[in-house]
Amino acid sequence: MLLPFSYAVRNLYRDRTRLAQTLGGSALVVFLVMGAHALNEGMRKTLSASGSPRNMLILGKGSEESMQRSEVSEQAAGITEASVSGIYAPLGDRAVSPQIIHMANLGLPDGTRIRGLVRGVTAKALLTHPEVTVMEGHFPGPGEIMAGRLAWKRFGIDEGDLVPGTELRFDSATLTLSGIFAAPGTVLESELWMNLNDLRTLAQRETVSAVVVRLDEGDPADVQLFTRQRLDLELSAVTEQSYYARLATFYAPVRAMTWTTAALIAAAAVFGGLNTLYAAFASRVREIATLQAIGFRRTAILISFIQESLMTSLFGTLLGALAAVLLLADRVIYLSAGAFRLGFGPETLFAGLLAGTLLGLVGSIPPAIRCLKPSLPQALRD
Amino acid sequence: MENDQDILIRCLSVTKQYKKGENLVTPLDTLDLDIPRGDFLAMMGPSGSGKTTLLNLLSGIDQPTSGSIEVDGVAIHALSRRALAAWRARQVGYIFQLYHLVPVLTAFENVELPLLLDDLKRRERREKVEAALSLVGLSDRMHHFPRELSGGQEQRVAIARALVADPPLLVADEPTGDLDRESADAILGLLQTLSREQGKTIVMVTHDPKAAGAASRTLHLEKGQLLEAVS
Ligand SMILES: Nc1ncnc2c1ncn2[C@@H]1O[C@H](COP(=O)(O)OP(=O)(O)OP(=O)(O)O)[C@@H](O)[C@H]1O
Ligand SMILES: [Mg+2]
Repeated sequence: MLLPFSYAVRNLYRDRTRLAQTLGGSALVVFLVMGAHALNEGMRKTLSASGSPRNMLILGKGSEESMQRSEVSEQAAGITEASVSGIYAPLGDRAVSPQIIHMANLGLPDGTRIRGLVRGVTAKALLTHPEVTVMEGHFPGPGEIMAGRLAWKRFGIDEGDLVPGTELRFDSATLTLSGIFAAPGTVLESELWMNLNDLRTLAQRETVSAVVVRLDEGDPADVQLFTRQRLDLELSAVTEQSYYARLATFYAPVRAMTWTTAALIAAAAVFGGLNTLYAAFASRVREIATLQAIGFRRTAILISFIQESLMTSLFGTLLGALAAVLLLADRVIYLSAGAFRLGFGPETLFAGLLAGTLLGLVGSIPPAIRCLKPSLPQALRD
Repeated sequence: MENDQDILIRCLSVTKQYKKGENLVTPLDTLDLDIPRGDFLAMMGPSGSGKTTLLNLLSGIDQPTSGSIEVDGVAIHALSRRALAAWRARQVGYIFQLYHLVPVLTAFENVELPLLLDDLKRRERREKVEAALSLVGLSDRMHHFPRELSGGQEQRVAIARALVADPPLLVADEPTGDLDRESADAILGLLQTLSREQGKTIVMVTHDPKAAGAASRTLHLEKGQLLEAVS
């Protein structure tokens, strides 16, 4: 007892302007929803991949939320290594990595200044961060610095500006770029790593920022117990995972903003869609009445209107999703914590599809019901 | 009075009232009417006398405020809206002054609409649609859209749509009101043929005495009451 599908299809073409409007509106909304979803997914995935549950961060007491602010005595690494059991130790080499995180101003050979976090490390960092692999060149020794493969993007410079052999000015010193490293899906990829001792001198500090410990069969609680027992060192231990998870909550406002923007535009699109569809359906009141006189039920007409609207919004969804994939898929977004590759996945597509479907339903049902309201004799008279 | 078996439509003290703001309008006031099966009835009367209102009541588009309407033994004044829609689909074909064809469907598809409410195979539907269009003389315009047809042709498509599902009752509200004389005569001739050769019961509202002349009898509606005229 349904109306022919062709009725819905041909109704689409009755007004090309309306078709273009509703198509464009739903494409835009789907694009934004997918963008917002991908950004959030990207941030979540990157931050959660950045922290290993096996890694413990030993930080200065009171600075558990910021490695940058934290100060840890130089001896802490040695004492930790001696006191904590169950540390990951391939070939007997214990994975305990003292690190300095420092906000630095660097000068490129052409005079461009770049500002960002530099991590001072020893070779032990490769034990605590096995996801890091040197792709090109070698690990930085004294007088050297190494760049993550996304660092150039983060600084807004050309990839060619950061190649092995490049000389970077750091205050009075000159550092040679020794290599490029990868650390897939983590924030490390947009960092610069250099020799720990060099950075300590250049940053004029006596302490390190943190000691990273990678556990094997060891219990994180043991590390925490150790920091509590050595009151004299004023340390605190958190898992690297919870550290980055907390960092993620720091970005909640950014996430809220992207969703709010998407929601506002979607609301505007729904409102616009309601109006255009109301006008479109209202112009067919007599025709709808005729169909009812013939014997079609209101439900059949409602379904046809929903089909018509869904066809537009789903085609818009296709366009929006295509645009999102083409324009956003491999985009990297830079925030102070690092570079986030937009996380496109089946859920992103699903979010877009959901948005498009809802748009089609919410935009068409109220105007359709309103146009089916007048009594049959009234509608035939109009 | 005719024998009960020959009566298709029986209205008993039918009253229809509308609220118009504070006022109550009563276009039909305790009206009685019997329409025998196979009758071709013309209804005339001044504008606002309730012709459309009565036609809507007889054909199940509207329901009376009080009184009873039985069509072929079915008390349609008491049917639910849903049951009424199903009843209309089987029992009534509608012809309107302004044709009311669906503009995005071809002549063929417009005529096919009532058949979609039945359980018919595609081929059966095609045969019926082709037969109906050939009866109104539009076999060659089957795949034209309404905007590609003249007013007279549109009305013929509307008639084909009204009769394709073979309902016993056809109602027409000023079917020639928007047509030139020649097209109007063709439509009236068609209605006469349907009445005579297919035994359809036809109720037609018209302002045109010549159109009324095509019917077998004419009723005048005035002040909510019916007066029979000599035809
Ligand atoms: N839905 C309605 N609400 C209020 N009043 C109505 C409604 N439908 C009809 N009327 C009133 O009922 C009366 C009869 O109307 P109706 O349309 O039946 O007249 P008619 O004889 O068909 O007139 P015309 O020749 O102009 O078509 C008129 O006064 C009209 O205003
Ligand atoms: Mg009328």
